[in-house]
Amino acid sequence: MTLIRLIGGRILLSLLTLLIVSALIFWILEVLPGDVASRIMGRDATPETLALLRAKLHLNDPAITRYLRWLGGMATGDFGTALTSSRPIVQILEPRIFNTVLLAGYAFLLYLPMALIPALIQAVRRDRPTDHALSAVTLVLLSMPDFLIATLLLVTFVVTVPLLPAISLVDQSSTALEYFRAMTLPAVTLAVVMAVYAVRMLRDNLIEVLSSDYVRMAELKGLSRRKVLLRHALPNALVPTLNITALNLAYLIGGVVVVEKVFSYPGFGSLLVDSLQLRDLPLIEATVLIAAAVYIAANLLADIGAILLNPRLRAS
Amino acid sequence: MSAALGPKLVEVSDLSLAYLHEDRPLQVLFGVTFSIAPGEVLGLVGESGCGKSTVAYQLLGYRPPSARVLSGSVRLSGVDLLTLSRAELDRLRGNRIALIPQNPASALSPGMRVGRQVAEVLTAHRRASGGSAPKARAAELFEAVGLPEPRRIGRRYPHELSGGQQQRVAIAMALACGPDLLVLDEPTTGLDVTTQQQIVALLAELRRRKRMAMLYVTHDLGLLAQIADRVGVMYAGRMVEVAPTGILFSQPRHPYTRGLIASIPQIRPGERLGKRLRGLLQRDELPPGCPFQPRCDFAEAACAAELQVLEEAAPGHEVACRRWRALAPPAAVPATLRAEPTEAAPLTPLLALDSLVVTYRAAGSVFAKPVAAVRGVTLAIERGETLALVGESGSGKSTVARAISGLLRPSAGQIRFGGEPLAGLLRHRPRELRRIIQYVFQNPDASLNPRMRVGSILARPLEVFFDAAGADLRGRIARALDDVRLDESYAERYPDQLSGGERQRVAIARAVVAKPALLLCDEVLSALDVSVQANILDLLKRLRAEHHLSMLFISHDLAVVREIADRIAVLFRGELCQVGPSRVVFQAPMHPYTHALLMAAPSGPAAIARPVEAGEPGPLRPASGQGCPYAGRCAWQAGAICEREPPPWLEAGNGNRIRCHLSLSELEARALWRAEPRQVEGAIRPAEGRATP
Amino acid sequence: MTLSAAPGLTQARLPSWRRILRRAPVSFHIGAAILIVHAAVAVLGPWLAPYGISQMGTGIPLSGMSWAHPFGVDQLGRDIFSRVIHGSHIVLLLALSGTGLGVAIGSVIGLLSGYVGGWIDNIVQRLLEAVISIPFLVLALLAIAAAGPQLAGSPLLVVLVVALVYAPRVARMARAAAIEIATRDFVTVARLRGEGAWSVMRREILPNASSVLLVEFALRAGYAPVLIGSLGFLGFGMRPPTPEWGLMMAENRALIIISPITVIGPGLALASLVVGLNLFTDGLARLIGRTAPRNQA
Repeated sequence: MTLIRLIGGRILLSLLTLLIVSALIFWILEVLPGDVASRIMGRDATPETLALLRAKLHLNDPAITRYLRWLGGMATGDFGTALTSSRPIVQILEPRIFNTVLLAGYAFLLYLPMALIPALIQAVRRDRPTDHALSAVTLVLLSMPDFLIATLLLVTFVVTVPLLPAISLVDQSSTALEYFRAMTLPAVTLAVVMAVYAVRMLRDNLIEVLSSDYVRMAELKGLSRRKVLLRHALPNALVPTLNITALNLAYLIGGVVVVEKVFSYPGFGSLLVDSLQLRDLPLIEATVLIAAAVYIAANLLADIGAILLNPRLRAS
Repeated sequence: MSAALGPKLVEVSDLSLAYLHEDRPLQVLFGVTFSIAPGEVLGLVGESGCGKSTVAYQLLGYRPPSARVLSGSVRLSGVDLLTLSRAELDRLRGNRIALIPQNPASALSPGMRVGRQVAEVLTAHRRASGGSAPKARAAELFEAVGLPEPRRIGRRYPHELSGGQQQRVAIAMALACGPDLLVLDEPTTGLDVTTQQQIVALLAELRRRKRMAMLYVTHDLGLLAQIADRVGVMYAGRMVEVAPTGILFSQPRHPYTRGLIASIPQIRPGERLGKRLRGLLQRDELPPGCPFQPRCDFAEAACAAELQVLEEAAPGHEVACRRWRALAPPAAVPATLRAEPTEAAPLTPLLALDSLVVTYRAAGSVFAKPVAAVRGVTLAIERGETLALVGESGSGKSTVARAISGLLRPSAGQIRFGGEPLAGLLRHRPRELRRIIQYVFQNPDASLNPRMRVGSILARPLEVFFDAAGADLRGRIARALDDVRLDESYAERYPDQLSGGERQRVAIARAVVAKPALLLCDEVLSALDVSVQANILDLLKRLRAEHHLSMLFISHDLAVVREIADRIAVLFRGELCQVGPSRVVFQAPMHPYTHALLMAAPSGPAAIARPVEAGEPGPLRPASGQGCPYAGRCAWQAGAICEREPPPWLEAGNGNRIRCHLSLSELEARALWRAEPRQVEGAIRPAEGRATP
Repeated sequence: MTLSAAPGLTQARLPSWRRILRRAPVSFHIGAAILIVHAAVAVLGPWLAPYGISQMGTGIPLSGMSWAHPFGVDQLGRDIFSRVIHGSHIVLLLALSGTGLGVAIGSVIGLLSGYVGGWIDNIVQRLLEAVISIPFLVLALLAIAAAGPQLAGSPLLVVLVVALVYAPRVARMARAAAIEIATRDFVTVARLRGEGAWSVMRREILPNASSVLLVEFALRAGYAPVLIGSLGFLGFGMRPPTPEWGLMMAENRALIIISPITVIGPGLALASLVVGLNLFTDGLARLIGRTAPRNQA
């Protein structure tokens, strides 16, 4: 199959998955609970308020219609209106997504060396004390929930050594430096969590490549260690690395939720939590769908990257 | 050619090596000593686990991190490779010593184009400066090793090439800097028999032209007859015999060597000398003296206690056995050829295939076009008869078996059992029919459930087909184990506690215990060591006689098939080429493909000159459905008619039928392969031998 | 954390007890030791803890670490250390039962779907992919939101949510294992005998998949406390005054600057449990991998 067909097929598959996810989200939020209105308003809402809400959200229309209307809106960019603030959701999302994207990018830049360097060291010094020590450290960090790591960082850099702000509230008026200072602790938290998650897999992956037949053959051709590593080992280790990175992106979307909350960073994640606490149905639907869409897109990019990098996958 | 006098290229002396395995060291080499003269080919042969590959890698100075050299030296032109640093080794490897790997598919870097992989050897050792010179030189090398389109093939990735082409690339890579020594680690394992033959012929040709020394490691003794000057035989990490090739085959001195030679299945009748090997190497039960003593027919009590060293039995012939003088030359064992079945052939054959066509879609894709794996096959198996299906990978022989067993539905044609049409799919067949056709698979590791004890594995068919239970069940299991010569206690064991040969016995027992009428054996010997193959073959023959079984025996190994089959059917790309009694199929006239198979099959000391036939097996062209399936690869192709029209069936007499456009007399004239053996002294030179007696 | 369906795991036999103790790697033993400690605290804790769950006035509010109060005292005067002890059984029980339920459901779905194949498997695969596309925490929060007010704050909801989040991922692993096992000849042999799908699943596939599933269980169980803690931390888990560790961290966070140990204490307890689970899982996987049969000639 040609490259275009292969990639096109993957894209179609991802869109299909997204479609199913949207149906799933809609079903969980609007069909499953039964009476959505009382769910939103709580137990002590009067019948009149409930009726008003139902009218506002068109809850009396059949589910299919509501679903398609919602889906059509999301696809065309009309995300609807938030319930609690009555603002267009798009307006609410824009600055939040911007903040989170910045944060994610920052975290990603920090994560790459944090993951690759220990993995390389461990792979090359396999089964020696350095390897075991790093594994132990990784294990301990891996076992700490992200909110614990965040808290520890907070305590160290805000309480003990007051370098950074405790709360990362920023808005349009903040300067770049303020942004930077505000983002640092959350970004480091995310980076550490992603890095320890990836180091183990990267290490195993690199070890597998280093002990593969073709790396041995390269050495036996008389190539120096450096050439073997750079030309034969690393390129072939790249593909599974991509996969691991995609998984990390997936974590990121969930991880920002907690981390943003800890530091009160006004991003997409804290928006999600807020919308759930406020029971703002349209906002919840929109944010969850976007979160899933980003995850699917990340996986798709990893797949495509793998196809492009690994010539074997291109053959039918 | 006797061993050259003068300075040796390679001298290995007293090499001992161990692996540090978890906590206990495991010694794998014990004082191995040998030498290789410049331009000489030394073969190294032995069962799996004897340490031959480990020795080979020491010539490259390569050890995995867990290995420790306990003693000895490995000298290349006087320099001890074991003492060199990584940088010094880097200069030698690929340059003066080169490796041709066992598995080229995994030894070539998957993400790099093959041209570049060859070019980087040249640049690393400064044989070609940058720019286009390395690529051009690589193209020259590709041409020298017989790759098609040498200028363009360099741009391909390894997975785009066939197994044979990948190995040629590996050879080109090894030759790039003109090494003094080539180390070959089982370079043809896993390749088709005809491809194997071509690679070996290529190596022989290159060796003749370039005068390279080689260390050729293999478990296949027959192969070495074509290319080795001398052969070293290893057992349990020790060198037990070294001799010039011809002498090793004609006058083997060590009991192990004799057993090894006798275990090679022969295509030609009346060739086996001596008794086959018995038993198995048990590492934990080795005596302090000679390791072969537990399996040796000639051993005395003292053999177990005394360590054996290599002694010179004749100039150039060394043996590590204290009893070599006392051993008489091995007696010829009359070949046990299949006797003609005494029953008159009944009117209805047991199994009949009528114009069978089986197609399937390539896995994973809904869009791929269906491939016809089997086309128009018409065959019959009489009661009590053994029919062999012979062909290389992709010939469709397994597909036929799967269709017969009900795993695949025929797309066209019919299968009849006992005269009655057989339902295509398993679920449409009654229990009796499922019982009466039994299947034995190739790989004993995969055909037994690792979580079930042997007893339970054997119990299942008894429960399903006979509703056996309780004491009756246990009794039947015990008898089944006895039938395959396994002790009763095996019933309590798990498959991973058994050796490969024992597992295959259990698999066979499982099939036989259902009391079938037809046994489908799908390459049941291919995954086993040569010495074990012979025993399993004997087992099958005995069971066949005791239980009056008919068999469909699938194999790519003509020698094995010769021993066990009454009739042989040759398949190529899903179509029949030739069918006939095994006696006659290997005599002229024969189908060109049958001829190619015979010429490619290694057959030890009686090898005769074999010109390499044209037609390198390229990537599978989609079956066009027109003309002869062998057209395009056939060395005797008549012309365009072969591509256009399907060939007719010719009756060659004695029940032998051949499907070819050529006439019988033409087929007879062209055949070079002869059934009578010829003894040749000394080393075999393919270029010097004469074709006809 | 995910493990690929390594063929080695599907070939290994579960070792007997003696073999376990002899051949297990160090991580297995250390992990098991930690888990035993946690289990002991969970069972015996309520009797051994110095103070009660909601006992107030045990010390000066927001005083830091001291011998009497290793984890400090919260603003209501409760001893955090005692509360941690009282709450230890909560996390353990919720994590194990949630994971167990998720693995059970996921295994059945995955094994069946993988073995049966065909269009059913295709649909199931699409559905699994879709559910897995929703990140862990988001899915959990979604489910909690959908569950409604009656279940909110109850332990049952937490268990169900954990099971819901894990089942699809376990199903995917089980499916991969079933597919790999089904390619092996002994399964074909069983089919050739005419055995039905259920019989083949039970006798041939499940025993060979059990190692994979066991490791999956251990793996997921290792992360479950983190998931539960996250939910508690965000306020979606159990309600106060339940001494759930994540919840406790959130409760005391407001005054972290004054008394950080009240937040870090429960966090470390949580981390130690996860370390124990991870070590145990790691050791278990390697132990099973070691008993995988080495192919003999």
